[in-house]
Amino acid sequence: MDLAELTKCLCGLSGPSGFEEPVRAWIAEYLAPFADEIRTDPLGNMIALKRCGKPGAKLVLLDAHMDEIGFIVTGAENGYLSFATLGGVDQRMLPAREVRVLTEPPLYGVIATMPPHVLSEEEKSRAIDVDKLYIDVGLSQEDALRTVPAGTPAVYAGSCETLGEGLLCGKALDDRACAAVIIKAFEELSQEDLDVDLCCLVSTQEEVGHRGAKVASWGLEPDVALVVDVTHGKTPDAPNVPCSCGKGAAICMGPNINSALSKELFALARERKIPHQPKAEPGGNSGTNAEAIQISREGVVTGLIGLPLKYMHSPVEVVALSDMQAVQALLTAYVERLEV
Amino acid sequence: MLDTMETLCCLCGVTGGEDEVRDYILERAMPCADEIRTDPMGNLMVFKKGAVTPEKRVMLCAHMDEVGLIVTDFTADGYLRFAEAGGLDRRVLIGKQVCVGPDRVPGVVGSKAVHLTTAEQRKTLPPVSDMYIDIGASSREEAEKSVSVGDLVAFDDAVVRFGDGFIKAKAIDDRAGCAVMLELLESELPRDCWFAFTVQEEVGCRGAEIAARSVQPDVALILETTTAADIPGAEGARRVCELGKGVVIPFMDRGTIYDRDLYRLLGRLADENGIPWQTKTMIAGGTDGSAVQRSGAGVHVAALSVPVRNIHSPASVAKVAECEDQYRLARLFLEEMAK
Repeated sequence: MDLAELTKCLCGLSGPSGFEEPVRAWIAEYLAPFADEIRTDPLGNMIALKRCGKPGAKLVLLDAHMDEIGFIVTGAENGYLSFATLGGVDQRMLPAREVRVLTEPPLYGVIATMPPHVLSEEEKSRAIDVDKLYIDVGLSQEDALRTVPAGTPAVYAGSCETLGEGLLCGKALDDRACAAVIIKAFEELSQEDLDVDLCCLVSTQEEVGHRGAKVASWGLEPDVALVVDVTHGKTPDAPNVPCSCGKGAAICMGPNINSALSKELFALARERKIPHQPKAEPGGNSGTNAEAIQISREGVVTGLIGLPLKYMHSPVEVVALSDMQAVQALLTAYVERLEV
Repeated sequence: MLDTMETLCCLCGVTGGEDEVRDYILERAMPCADEIRTDPMGNLMVFKKGAVTPEKRVMLCAHMDEVGLIVTDFTADGYLRFAEAGGLDRRVLIGKQVCVGPDRVPGVVGSKAVHLTTAEQRKTLPPVSDMYIDIGASSREEAEKSVSVGDLVAFDDAVVRFGDGFIKAKAIDDRAGCAVMLELLESELPRDCWFAFTVQEEVGCRGAEIAARSVQPDVALILETTTAADIPGAEGARRVCELGKGVVIPFMDRGTIYDRDLYRLLGRLADENGIPWQTKTMIAGGTDGSAVQRSGAGVHVAALSVPVRNIHSPASVAKVAECEDQYRLARLFLEEMAK
């Protein structure tokens, strides 16, 4: 399975924050042939390990998160489901939006929209608050309560398709595109003679505050961690964003990132002619798992590589396959070069 | 009937570009028609003889066009600017998948990430003139290889059946009516009947105006869909009509005061045959009836509409049973007109 196919498979799975089990199980099965050990933990992280067998070998952690933003049902009114959000949902995306309600088996739903004729001119130009939106699953109140109890999660319907030339477009590319990259990097590196132990961590609950990575990095005690997450790509309505889709891996710099490590990544990218672009992360919090991992235990040497992505947290996120390949090349080049 | 409707919903026929829909209907109607013609605007008028030929000429009417977008310009970096083709609710546009132009180039209506918005921006919607479609092109030149200004843009076309007998599709408005007419055409009719598949209803019933002039009916029945606001937050009369309560027989909307006798006749036929029906509790929307009624020396006009949630959006929802009941009631109407 190549990188694009893997990404499409991963995006088609449903795994909002806190409900990632189908994604974890799928990845664990995929990685089993390449790992010495696969395990999980109380937060449901997917941990795959490949030991080099050399004494004193350092542990290098590759991290990307498996969870996607989504919804959680809170009740029913006349058969329509009320809901809250899981992670940073843009409420402007929701009217007439198709969703997958994660019952067993899943149900199809549409977020019902008040037609314009019953709204004032002012209401028509305003986004609708989430607490005034409902999911229509076509059931009576009685059936809705029985079939879709409060606490049932939901995600955007759909998966991921090719857009234009060399772009992928769909839901959950944040951060399954990066998960696909570290999985492929792990697969590739597992067949090489490394001087380090390698861990592929596909973590949970990033969208609600880096919770999975926090406990996984504690448990794993890595010496070096490379976090791979999406970063904003330039769009017509966001022209001042520094990174662009198609211009390569975004090597991040700032307080949340080990500066020696980012310099090494820049040098390596230049040497191997891997397309890359710089990204400044001014705060102590880069908004990624690097925040949790860097301050795990007594501190971890942590790097952050961004994959530029347009329309983050929408059902039509867009990434360039060439950027994904650049990130993968940078990860493998970096790990290959590490010594005991 | 439902298969026909699903097939029709998947065709692209944004207002002013109904060719694909017309071609499909034409191909199926040809073998059953006694007379068939089109006009310079693209209306399709089909005549079929029935068991009897009463003096009065009856016309059924449904529109082929759907709401969508039209490409107006490109940005230098290959995004498409667009305007609405037909009355769209701009709240349903952001983050939707679309197909552009005759080659159905896939695209999405982009919007900067929620992280990059201000609190005020999250509560408001950008004007359509600020929205854009991303087809994955990196420059204007690249975009122009597959898309031209003036290309029509339709919503993604997947049809889904769900819940307790519901169907979701784009363009249910008014492929539901087209499907009923096509199924009637392919059956034995109780009387002679004209079928007008019209264009450009969504931009002011422009097709129906000339189609009615061409057919010159005495009586016309408009087969339509109508907006349902039967969701939490809309109470009482503001709900307009409700899915599950039956086909809508309107007495009046914003374009037409329907013929009183025909309105009563349709209600009686529904009652006598155990077909659930409702009327609208709010004077909203309009149909081709407005153009047909005032055509020539005037026409007796009635309408039958399927209630549709999220109408004019890519995820319109109708109740399957009500689509089927629209067919039954239209047929009963023709039987009555045969007497």
